[in-house]
Amino acid sequence: MPESKLLTEHYHKDEYRGLQGYKANGGYQVIEKAFKMDPQKIIEEVLNSGLRGRGGAGFPTGRKWSFLPDNGEPRYLLCNADEGEPCTFKDRMMMERAPHQLIEGMVISAFAIKSHKSYIYVRGEYTESVEILREAIKEAYDAGYLGKNILGSGFDHDMDVYAGAGAYICGEETGMISSLEGKKGQPKLKPPFPAVKGYLGKPTIVNNVETLAAVVPIIKDGADAYKKFGTEKSTGTKLFSVSGDVQKPGNYEVPLGMPLRELIELAGGMKPSRTLKAVIPGGTSAPVLNKEEAEKATMDYECLAEMGSMLGSGAVTIIDDTRCMVDMLHVITHFYHHESCGQCTPCREGTGWLNKIVNSIVEGRGRLQDIDTLCKVADHMKGKTICALSDAAALPVLSFVPKFRSEFEFYIREGRSKVKGTRYAEMHA
Amino acid sequence: MPKCTLNGKEIEVAEGTTIIEAYKKLEEDIAHYCWHPGLSVAGVCRLCMVKVEGNPRLQIACNTVVQDGMVISNQDDEVKEAVRWGLDFHLINHPLDCPVCDQAGECGLQDQYMKFGKYDPEMAERKVKKSKVVDLGKRVVLDSERCILCSRCVRFTEEVSKTNELGIFNRGDHSEIGTYSGKPLDNNYSLNTVDICPVGALTSRDFRFKQRVWFLNKKQSVCTGCSTGCNIDVYFNKEGVWRFKPAFNAEVNGHWMCDKGRDYYANLNPYETHVEGERKDKKVKRIPVRLLNGMKGSEMINSQDLAIEVGQRLKELGGEKVALVITGQQTSEELEAVTEFFAKDLNSKNVFYWVNNKENFDEFDGILKRGDENPNTKGALKTLEKFGLNQTWSQLTDGIEKGHIEMVLVLGPENQQVYPDFKTRVEELSKAKTLVWTTACLNESLDKSNVWQIPANTFVEKEGTFINHAGLEQKISFITDLVHNAFDGVELARLMRGDDLPEEERFKNSPYKRVNNEFTSIRGDL
Repeated sequence: MPESKLLTEHYHKDEYRGLQGYKANGGYQVIEKAFKMDPQKIIEEVLNSGLRGRGGAGFPTGRKWSFLPDNGEPRYLLCNADEGEPCTFKDRMMMERAPHQLIEGMVISAFAIKSHKSYIYVRGEYTESVEILREAIKEAYDAGYLGKNILGSGFDHDMDVYAGAGAYICGEETGMISSLEGKKGQPKLKPPFPAVKGYLGKPTIVNNVETLAAVVPIIKDGADAYKKFGTEKSTGTKLFSVSGDVQKPGNYEVPLGMPLRELIELAGGMKPSRTLKAVIPGGTSAPVLNKEEAEKATMDYECLAEMGSMLGSGAVTIIDDTRCMVDMLHVITHFYHHESCGQCTPCREGTGWLNKIVNSIVEGRGRLQDIDTLCKVADHMKGKTICALSDAAALPVLSFVPKFRSEFEFYIREGRSKVKGTRYAEMHA
Repeated sequence: MPKCTLNGKEIEVAEGTTIIEAYKKLEEDIAHYCWHPGLSVAGVCRLCMVKVEGNPRLQIACNTVVQDGMVISNQDDEVKEAVRWGLDFHLINHPLDCPVCDQAGECGLQDQYMKFGKYDPEMAERKVKKSKVVDLGKRVVLDSERCILCSRCVRFTEEVSKTNELGIFNRGDHSEIGTYSGKPLDNNYSLNTVDICPVGALTSRDFRFKQRVWFLNKKQSVCTGCSTGCNIDVYFNKEGVWRFKPAFNAEVNGHWMCDKGRDYYANLNPYETHVEGERKDKKVKRIPVRLLNGMKGSEMINSQDLAIEVGQRLKELGGEKVALVITGQQTSEELEAVTEFFAKDLNSKNVFYWVNNKENFDEFDGILKRGDENPNTKGALKTLEKFGLNQTWSQLTDGIEKGHIEMVLVLGPENQQVYPDFKTRVEELSKAKTLVWTTACLNESLDKSNVWQIPANTFVEKEGTFINHAGLEQKISFITDLVHNAFDGVELARLMRGDDLPEEERFKNSPYKRVNNEFTSIRGDL
């Protein structure tokens, strides 16, 4: 199955970044169509398209929009461009290659949900994306695609870019809202949900970059055309950031439901004389798939959920037989320990505990009971906190350890890696 | 009114009640740290887990509103396991230095671990080290390692004192409570953060290391710091009074009290302890601060005999030549008894009301503290009204000046610090031939040859009623005896009238009666 470039068709062209190039390639036409539609009709179209949030949780976008209360309060649209999930790099490409596509998608979405102000919350490390977006927003204002009375429709919309400070937790929607409000980036207690009480206590919709950009093709050709791609429950196309031990790592836009095998082939296949060992299908917080599972998996929400994993942000990390799983888990637990906001106790203490245990193992101080402790700690962190970071930290542990237990046991008994044959210090010399 | 079932018991609650409030109403056990009835919901300790039938995930009771027909339980094995682990997560980086921790005995971690704990720790890794003995402000000391980051103190400064001094700095398991540099925790309500701290992270600079809390007894009383009349718990043992803490009263003070009111406890103890020198040369000096017996000029005399003598002298001089001065610092009963003695027995109209800071009476800080720093101003006015007395202060000074008034009895203010005109009034009144002053605390300005001093009881040593600014009558009860020769106004009136005091009333709490360690009747509550 080849790529289906619904969003990324013109990404290879340099001029697509600018307003002229974007318009020359068919940009800003859908916005005119949208303004002729009833806002409610747009929401229905998005609902019918089956579009699900592309940021990680996969919540149906149209349904999220329909939660907004009709109380006359100002509404905010926030674009979540705080792409923090390790191994994910699709939003960055979208913002840097086609900033106007995102702006167009956001204006259409804002028109649909009757919001007059939106922010793009960009991850702090993406300094280039911020510059490009600012430039593009300025162009859009000058061309009348933003500001007062857009294209004579009577609809006003203002847009701004906000650069985060590089915290993973600010990718969580309520964490992002706190950060945007100028507070410490910590998730808020739910309920109330952002759709009811979000940014500045007003109804707020938070969507991922890819989700908002996908609104453009949905409105352009209609929900039915969009639904032709993908499976019944996972419609449309998705950008996958394929990385790791493949020959051509990169972003690939393919219809959902594509077999993982084919995605690997698309990314150039495995490196010579190496074999597939495992795949993390949706960013490091998604449970790892072993070889057998990876060979059967198709890249859609249902199949991966059935296998106990998830599609997540679409960051597919291919792991071949030269990788030490203990070492990999060490990197992952270190990341979540570093990024836990420290609000909820199970996550604050649990992420540190997990990291310390794995650290003890890689440094040769491990005890065999540590393997069980790891699983118990992770198990009790799961589903106990305000946001999903605790789960994100627990799930890799709960999949790495049982699926590759022999590697952990070997490491503890011998003090060295089963795969590499060396100690931690030598591995990272 | 939604009805729900909690652990098998049916309960009907008001609309919008959270599950944890329903648990508290039923007095069922539920583990929690971050929830506090006087603060907003943070939902971060994740301990108040409950199972709601029909919901696959455990819910936190503090942020879940009771819906009609809910079947809720925290006796489920799944909940119990979650709470056990939740407590263990709290403890893995806690230093467990209970033997040297000031909170031990009234610690939320100790109490709840005993009830809900796992008793089988599995943490074998190194704990996170954080700073100890952090100076947060002039009253509060922080131990970051003990802190479980429940954020109660932060929410308190945000929501109640509205001073926003505290915040959580850093992230993950390196998070620490702190203040912005150069902006210490300095407000009149800062010690409430110590009360609501469920662990020994925030401790009172004044109280720490002075007493083990299980050697203290507590009884409820009313703060005399101002006309608000906050309800307080007085913590005391046979050595004296050690601290005040607010007692919940929704009508008056809610959960809080001010720091100024707390400071007053030190004035009650008969002696002030000073430590001089270090280590081997250390000397402990006890300096008396309370009046311990009757004083006739510089001559010490039994207080009871002195009171009887005062009574006789007053009766001899009779109505016109004597005067009484009252303040808003005595209980209504005392004021009434002594005024009655003057108005009825002596047939005198010379009863004067001493007001300390009239111009500040209407001040209010918006939380609790009022400008009227007398607990019973309303009571004093009521007494004067009852006996139809309305003499002005100038009538008194004129009377003394002209020699009409020869003897003045002053029911002196218990808290002399809030009477800035104390010294001038003493000068003014000591122009009379004899000035009799009932006082709890020593004061240099009273050391005059014509001033007779009678030791008075403080509010923890007597019973009575205070009427607060809103007209609410609040009873105080006897708590402990600190100065054995002191008596209150009611007893003074009896002695002056010539009636004797019954023996048991004189020695309610004799120092010679050996009392064993007084354990707090109720263990530290949250």
